[in-house]
Amino acid sequence: MHPNATRSKQSAVPFFDRFTKVMLAAMFVLLLGVFSSAWYMSSHKMEGAGTDDVVNKMASKAASSESHPFIELPGDAELGAFSVANFFVGMIVGHYWTMLFGKNARKDENTAG
Amino acid sequence: MHIEDGVLGVKSVIVNYAITAGLIVLGVQEIKRRVKENLYYKPFLAMVGVAVFVISAMHLPVPVTGSCSHPTGTPLAAILVGPFATVVISAIVLFFQAIFLGHGGITTIGANTVSMGIVGTFIGYFVWKLFRMFHSPIWLAAGLAGFIGDLATYLTTALQLAISLHGNVPLVTQWMIFFAGYGPTQLPLAMLEAIFTAIVVQIMVARRPDLLPGILMSNETRP
Repeated sequence: MHPNATRSKQSAVPFFDRFTKVMLAAMFVLLLGVFSSAWYMSSHKMEGAGTDDVVNKMASKAASSESHPFIELPGDAELGAFSVANFFVGMIVGHYWTMLFGKNARKDENTAG
Repeated sequence: MHIEDGVLGVKSVIVNYAITAGLIVLGVQEIKRRVKENLYYKPFLAMVGVAVFVISAMHLPVPVTGSCSHPTGTPLAAILVGPFATVVISAIVLFFQAIFLGHGGITTIGANTVSMGIVGTFIGYFVWKLFRMFHSPIWLAAGLAGFIGDLATYLTTALQLAISLHGNVPLVTQWMIFFAGYGPTQLPLAMLEAIFTAIVVQIMVARRPDLLPGILMSNETRP
């Protein structure tokens, strides 16, 4: 066998490693909860509004002044803002997770210990 | 618990900002001290900070009440990076949520930090410490900290609104009226936060107990 082939076999990164499988499983469980809740609310004609909005409206009535967020994100702009923010947050968490809890970090810890 | 601009009175805004500012000073001191003690504290703090950003903006629907709410993530942060440092994290997170996501307001950063970053944080941390003092397992102490810290946050927000807006209505009645807007939806989410906090702390301790000095008692072994 060609030496490069052996080396690449040894260092091959699995497509679905254990961490990815666990994360995907957790995501699907959470999404299943979200979907089933949304289905229930939709079939019972519930609004599904955020409690923050509900209470801010109650507070507005009590204060006799309109509450408002610092910026308004109408329609899909809110979805866009959350997606962009969470994409980069995910990248940053992943970056630091690898740095602190990845295999190399744990090897360093064991060596130091 | 994200109170928006326009509902709190000027006095309430100033008082909450003053409390937040005082604890931020202590938080910066805690961060400086811990950075000197632990080389990995800075990246750890950054990771926990962005995690709090996403956890406290993660709206989840609760079918029975027909509304959505979010966990806070601050009891978890308090266990991992310390309660005073969590106050700093919370203030930064709430600022960016207000300007990027239209979540909360600028005049209410102080009030929102008091509920999520101070009361939720310190009550959660107190529960964690209390149960660990009685040799409770890590997952149980962390889970209870998450559960109680979460509910404490929303009770505080309701109280802040009640103090500012109760008018002729008795304070406790108004407090419970506002909490009724949060409570039924928040209860299942607090349970979810408890499970999440327990799992994350347990995994982190199992992988890198050196990042969390003092988390294991002298008679405990790494899980």
